[in-house]
This record gives sequence, C-alpha cells and structure tokens, in this order.
Amino acid sequence: MATFEWKEVKIEVDEDGFMEEPEAWNESVALALASTEAVDDLTDDHWKVVNYLRDYYQQFGIAPMIRKLCKQSGFTLKEIYDMFPSGPAKGACKVAGLPKPTGCV
Amino acid sequence: MGRVRSHNAEKVLERLEKKINRQIATSLAACVHCGNCSSCCHYVLANPDDPTYQPSYKADQLRKLFKRHVDWTGRVIPWWVKAKSVYTDEELEELKDVVFGKCTNCRRCSINCPMGVDHATFNRMARGLLVSVGIMPEGVAVVSKDQWEIGNQMGVLKEDYIDTLEWMEEELQEEFGNPEVKIPVDKMDCDIVYSINPREVKYDPRTIADAAKIFHLAGANWTMPSEGWDMTNFGLFSGDDDLGGAVGRRLYEKVEELRGGRLVISECGHGYRSTRCEAPNWGKIDVPFVMESSVITMLNYIKQGRIKVDKIRNEGSYTFHDSCNNARSCGLFEEPRELLNLVVSDIREMYPNRTENYCCTGGGGAMSMSEYTPLRLKSGKIKAEQLEATGANFVVTSCHNCVDGLTDIIRHYKLDMKVTQLVNLVAEALVIPEKVVVPEEEVPVEVEKPEEAAIFAGKKILVVDDEPDIRIFFTSVLEDNGATVIEASDGDQAIEMLRAEKPDLVTLDLNMPGKDGGQVFEAIRKDEELAQTRVCIVTGRPELRRLIYDRPVAPPEGYLDKPVDEETLIFNCRKILELG
Repeated sequence: MATFEWKEVKIEVDEDGFMEEPEAWNESVALALASTEAVDDLTDDHWKVVNYLRDYYQQFGIAPMIRKLCKQSGFTLKEIYDMFPSGPAKGACKVAGLPKPTGCV
Repeated sequence: MGRVRSHNAEKVLERLEKKINRQIATSLAACVHCGNCSSCCHYVLANPDDPTYQPSYKADQLRKLFKRHVDWTGRVIPWWVKAKSVYTDEELEELKDVVFGKCTNCRRCSINCPMGVDHATFNRMARGLLVSVGIMPEGVAVVSKDQWEIGNQMGVLKEDYIDTLEWMEEELQEEFGNPEVKIPVDKMDCDIVYSINPREVKYDPRTIADAAKIFHLAGANWTMPSEGWDMTNFGLFSGDDDLGGAVGRRLYEKVEELRGGRLVISECGHGYRSTRCEAPNWGKIDVPFVMESSVITMLNYIKQGRIKVDKIRNEGSYTFHDSCNNARSCGLFEEPRELLNLVVSDIREMYPNRTENYCCTGGGGAMSMSEYTPLRLKSGKIKAEQLEATGANFVVTSCHNCVDGLTDIIRHYKLDMKVTQLVNLVAEALVIPEKVVVPEEEVPVEVEKPEEAAIFAGKKILVVDDEPDIRIFFTSVLEDNGATVIEASDGDQAIEMLRAEKPDLVTLDLNMPGKDGGQVFEAIRKDEELAQTRVCIVTGRPELRRLIYDRPVAPPEGYLDKPVDEETLIFNCRKILELG
C-alpha cells in the first residue's frame, strides 16, 4: 500500500496504483488518478464512461464486461481505447476508483 | 519433546511427503550450489546483493524440508545437509513471499542448470503446498475461486460471453458488408474449436474479431465452445494440480462433445503450456485430438495460400519477445518468427532470445498479485535494457501475460514502445478479396462508367426463353452493357410484351412449350405494328432453322447457336441493332 498525492488529493493506492478504498472516490480523485493514466483532461465522454463504471461497480462489486460498457455508454471499443490508452481494465477502471481487476490483466 | 507445530505446518509436511516423486527427489539431491542459476535470474540481476532472490536459495526452502522429513540423510546428519522443519504460520507466510513474490517460474535458471535441476518445478510445488492450506496471495485465491466455480478466471457469465461474441460478429458483418460472416458457437464436427483467454472477452475482444476475420477469409470450418472456452489455467501458477486438471478437463470434454477435429489455443503462453502440455498429466486425461497454438494455424493458412497478407500494411519496426512458457517449456519460438517475418518488414532481433530470453516479469500469475508489483518492476531492469537495445517501435509477443508485463515495464522504464500480438498483425496485413471490401458508396461510380460507354444505352431488349438460367445470363450481360431488359418465358407472354413494350430487339428461343419460337416469329412479322422489330433467333438445335426460313416472311436479323458466350451475344446484338 502507498499514499498517492496530487494537488489537494491524498489517497491510499495499491502497488499498481489502484484505489485501496473505492468508497473514498470523488471527482477530484478521478482527476488525480487520470493524471497517472496519460489522460490530461476528463471530457464529458470520459465522465460518461467513468460514471457508468462507478455505478456498475457499486451495484455488482465487479468491473463490467467491455460489451456492457460499450452498449450502455454508446462508445465503440476504439473510442474507449482512444479515451483511456491503458484500456478499460487498467485505465478506465483505475480512474473510476475501482480496485485492480482480477486475473491476467 | 519436539516443538509444537501449527495445523497448517503439519498439513504442509504431510502433503510434501505425498507429492515428492523420484524426479523431484533426484533434482533436490542433484544441486551442487554452483551458482550458475543466479546469473540467469532476472530477479538476481536486479538485486545482486540479496541472496534470497537466488534460485538455489528459493529451492533450498523446499530442500530443507525434504531433507528433514523425507530423505534419510536428514535423519542421520541433519546439520550437514541443512535439514530443517517448519513450525509456524509466520514461516509459511515468509515462504509465500519467496515462492510467489520472488519468482515468476520462468525456468530460465532451469534450462541453464548444468545438473538439470528444474528450480521452477520446486517453486511451483512449494506454491501448491501453501495453497493446499489456504496460504496464497489474495489475487491468486480470487482467480482460482472463479476458475473453480464459474469456469473461467474472470468470472465471465455464459450469456455475457455469448453476447460479446455476437457483438464481434455484428462488427465483422458490418466491416465485410456480408451477413454470412459468422462467429459460430457450438457448431458440431468442426475442424477447429477455438479457445481463448477470458481477458479477450471481458476487456479487449478485438483479438477475437481479428481471429474470426482470419478464420473467415481462410474458409475455415471452425467454432467457439459455449462452455469450457477458457484455455488459461491458474493451476499452473498456484501449483494446484487438481484445479489444473479440472480446468483442462472442461475444455477437452467440450471439444469432444462438439466432435472437434483440433483445439486451437489463442496467443497465451501459460494457457498453451497448461492446455497442451500439462493439464493432461494433472488430470490424468487421455486427449484424443490435436492441440495447436493459433500461431501455427495462422502460419499454415499463409503458407497454404488460404489467406493472403501484405506486410507493407504493418508500418514501423518490430522485435519479438519469447514467452517463457511458449519458448522454454513448449519449444515454440521459430514459428512465431516465421509468421512475424511474413506480416512485417522491419524486424530487430532481441538479445538474448528464444529459450534464453528474459522474463516479461508478468509470468507465474504475477499480474494478479499487486503486493509484489514493486519487486516485479525492479526486476524488469534487464528486460527494459533488452527492449531498448532493439530500438524497435513495437514488441510482439504471443502471450497475454507478456502483453501486460511488458506494458508495465515499458511504462515504468519510460520506453517509447508499444506491445502487440501476432493475431493483430496478421489481421492488419490481410489482403481482403475485392468483392468483399467494395464499400457500398463506390458502387454507383462503377455503374456509371459502363453507362457512359454503354453499347446498348437507350435500347430495350426482350429476352424470350423458357429456361430461367438463360434468361438470367442474357439479362445480366445485356443490362451490364446498358440495355433495358424485359423477359418472357413462353410464346404467348412474348407476344403480349412485344405489343405492350415495343422493344428494339427480341432474342427468341425456338424450342418452347406452347407457342414455339417459329410461331412467335411469324406472328411478329405478320403484325403490322411489330413487323419492324429486330429479331435474333437463339437455339440449341440448328436443325430447327427451317422452322424459320421455311416461313413466308422476311428472315430474322440474326441467329445464335446455343451455348452462347458473353462476347458472341454482345457482338451479335450490337450488329443487329447498329446495322440491321
């Protein structure tokens, strides 16, 4: 576990930079985490993805399938990868404050 | 009075005695502590002053227990052979940090050991002993549970899996403009059953679409299984042979149920090793079909001319990273290079390579154990140096773990490089037959061209024949050349249409049921209104010519013998319309 600081934000993250306490997430935290993901600015499109991931995680306790994310947000796979260069698992989920997805990712 | 042992320690020792076989006993006895393994290990290279990273040290953790509890030397001269036991859960936790956190089971030390000692096998066995008493990193526990209970390591539900395949199928149909492009599921008696890594379906199904595109263009008879489709196997990482066997069995049984000819395994190093080489042993299963890496499948398609590729489409320079499981454990290192050479132009070899390549640092399940990430990234120094020395824009690998491990290394060491896989490069290089790719919006442009120079522009032609095939052929040839074509399938219909449509030319079959061509011809010539219509008689029976020429009317403008080819048809009709 480590402490990650960015501007006024101070959060606990795991060794891969994912939040240790997803419930402490807020929009400033998202901006802070985005700075580690080569995402300089969170546009409306970014927020749409991030908010969907948050909602899904709060409801089901896991990250959604990329199929669900694309279907619900209306973005194509390519658009998701353009927005979050590390991809939905490591990039988008991290910014949305989810813990690191399990398995070979 | 001996020291009191914890329940877990007791269980670990019990299990140890059962798991030791002759090969392991020999290997444990064979080490001469020469230190050669240390110079081979990426962990040691990054931590030269810490002896706990040395492969022989890690092996000693198992060896001391073996000496103390199994081997006779430990009973007689324990102090001499460094025999020791284990008593507490804390000691087991320490062992966990060594065998899970300081080794990726990449086997580089194993293949370089002059005594033939397979250190990675010890490491996996020690992991298995700990897992049997529930001591393991949380990530390994979560993934193993999903693989046991849901049937795949990411807990993907069947309906989500199928939904994703359908999604990729729709995307492909759109791309090809062809609703016949399929990602078949549970199709019986296929040549190929294609299995994947759950990360493909959960996070990045582009590799599934790429593979489907390749299978489609190769004309493969293939399917994906609805269940048992996960070819990854956490049993390899956790040392749990029961899990390993169960996961393998699910896939093998599904392939047999579908009566598949061959099991093709997508680009995943540990999945390939587990499925093809290890799980039959773990599960004591006799697998009756062939298993191959998709690398081999793709290579064969190109060599057999079933798909065509153009390497120009993949720009930039490439290097190939050998996955430890593919190269060192399964001997798969020349074929991926052969394939890479067919789909890219600029290849920079990485040194050392093939079986001597260094680990991506993500192997052995390391990607699922965040607690050891800092150790992993530090040990990636040699990998980063190797990558950087190639100067390549892309590193290609046939392993999903390596994709993630290398991505982390590239990011941590700030290298300017991207990671990709062979399936992506092959799909990108595919030369798609033109009829498949012509975008719809270009069609009108193509139609306009012949119209400008259309031979029969503005002409109306009636095709009379009782054989539908002939009508279709004549109509398409004449329409392609600008004519407006109408059709009649018998004599009466022909006369009706002649009166109604007043065509410039009639191609007239002679032998038809009901009113034959001869009667129709005479009726045309005798009808004042139609008499000037140009007629081209078409028949497969030249002896019937007299039916025409014996008639007391002006002869037809042209005559064609069946079978008629396109050129003859155009030439004759043109001659009649322009000269007749």
